[in-house]
Amino acid sequence: MKLTSNKTFKTFTDPLWQNNPISIQVLGICSALAVTVQLNTAVVMALALTFVISFSNLTVSILRNSIPSNVRIIFELSIISTLVIIADQVLQAFLYDISRQLSVFVGLIITNCIVMGRAETFAMSNPPLRSFADGLGNGLGYGGVLVLVAFFRELLGSGKLFGFDIIPQAFYTAGYENMGFMLLAPAAFIIIGLLVWLQKTIMDK
Amino acid sequence: MSDHRKSFVAVGILCVVCSLLITAASNGLRGYQLRNMNLDRQKNLLRSVGLIDDQRKYLADEIESLYRNNIRSFYVDSDGRIIEVSGQTAGRLPIYLYMHEDEIIAYIVPIDARGLWGRINGYLAIDSDGTTITGFTVYKHQETPGLGGEIERRWFQKNFEGKKIVDQEGSFVSVGIARGLVEDRVPEERQIHYVDGISGATLTGRYLEASLKDILMEYEPVSVRFRKQMPLEPVD
Repeated sequence: MKLTSNKTFKTFTDPLWQNNPISIQVLGICSALAVTVQLNTAVVMALALTFVISFSNLTVSILRNSIPSNVRIIFELSIISTLVIIADQVLQAFLYDISRQLSVFVGLIITNCIVMGRAETFAMSNPPLRSFADGLGNGLGYGGVLVLVAFFRELLGSGKLFGFDIIPQAFYTAGYENMGFMLLAPAAFIIIGLLVWLQKTIMDK
Repeated sequence: MSDHRKSFVAVGILCVVCSLLITAASNGLRGYQLRNMNLDRQKNLLRSVGLIDDQRKYLADEIESLYRNNIRSFYVDSDGRIIEVSGQTAGRLPIYLYMHEDEIIAYIVPIDARGLWGRINGYLAIDSDGTTITGFTVYKHQETPGLGGEIERRWFQKNFEGKKIVDQEGSFVSVGIARGLVEDRVPEERQIHYVDGISGATLTGRYLEASLKDILMEYEPVSVRFRKQMPLEPVD
């Protein structure tokens, strides 16, 4: 069997494009607005969420037959929050500045509906490996959009990428100005809207 | 086992496992986090006296050596004299001095102010003339991001540079936070004692202003000594 037709592989690739959590399902928008002013924070946030969602899916899936169904939401939430706190602690220890900039948004991964949604709808009824692949795919699908939005916002808003100046000084002397609007949250809405439009147009063809 | 009891047992096990994991993560990483916090504190202290270039990234060692070479930590007694204390510190206020070759360039007052949601911690540096603020920084706060949280931004902190804590007659007035832009809200002759406020953060500004006044009041004895160039060391 070819890798690309493998069911697990399909579970992984589906949320990257066909069923992207942000641009198709329109979930997890709040954090997408907040952390996409710079690429640095967007990348770290994407990695943190991917870590949380893949391992919460894996854990929930392993335990799915022993979780009593009347308390399953509590189970899922506890597992997710534990992973989020661990991710937050690691960031505070090794990426202090970025963790300061992300402030509450790492903690708020707990309430990110993508994580909860995947645990409840996918991991509770699928085997561990596929659940892990699903988590990885959704995390990266979310992260991909985040990084893309941050790319435009940082480039147009502050003329930088990853904190390095990209727009040459000559442009500024010639009258070019950074778009202050890109630094505000509504700009992320507009970019996400344009991305959704673009993706739908491509998919319809 | 009934369904109810099964649920309780399962939740119990879950609680224990999760708490163990969190405790392990928190304790295991404590050392790194403390070092980061300490570095951040030192960096903010250095920034308040203008030793940190905002455009540049600093390595941990650079900050530590900058701190070691320029900043010294002392206490102030009730007469405003600067003393070195080992052990008993009750009734004495901590103070940091920015020294360059035995000359005091500025003194730095640690700020522990009231905010809207919690304490605001930072540093206020005052030039050795005892009247001019050279910088204000915040390293810890719990204010709302985007509103009161703006106190950690450079635009707000830069406002403080060059402001005076005494008026022309030489009496103490502290530094105020205007409700809006200073040039719109404050009469011209008093603008030198005010900084621009943050919109959407009236209460944060009000509390911070009151706390700054209290803290500077406490440090007045030492500020007076700087202003009048009186001896700073205790005479035995």
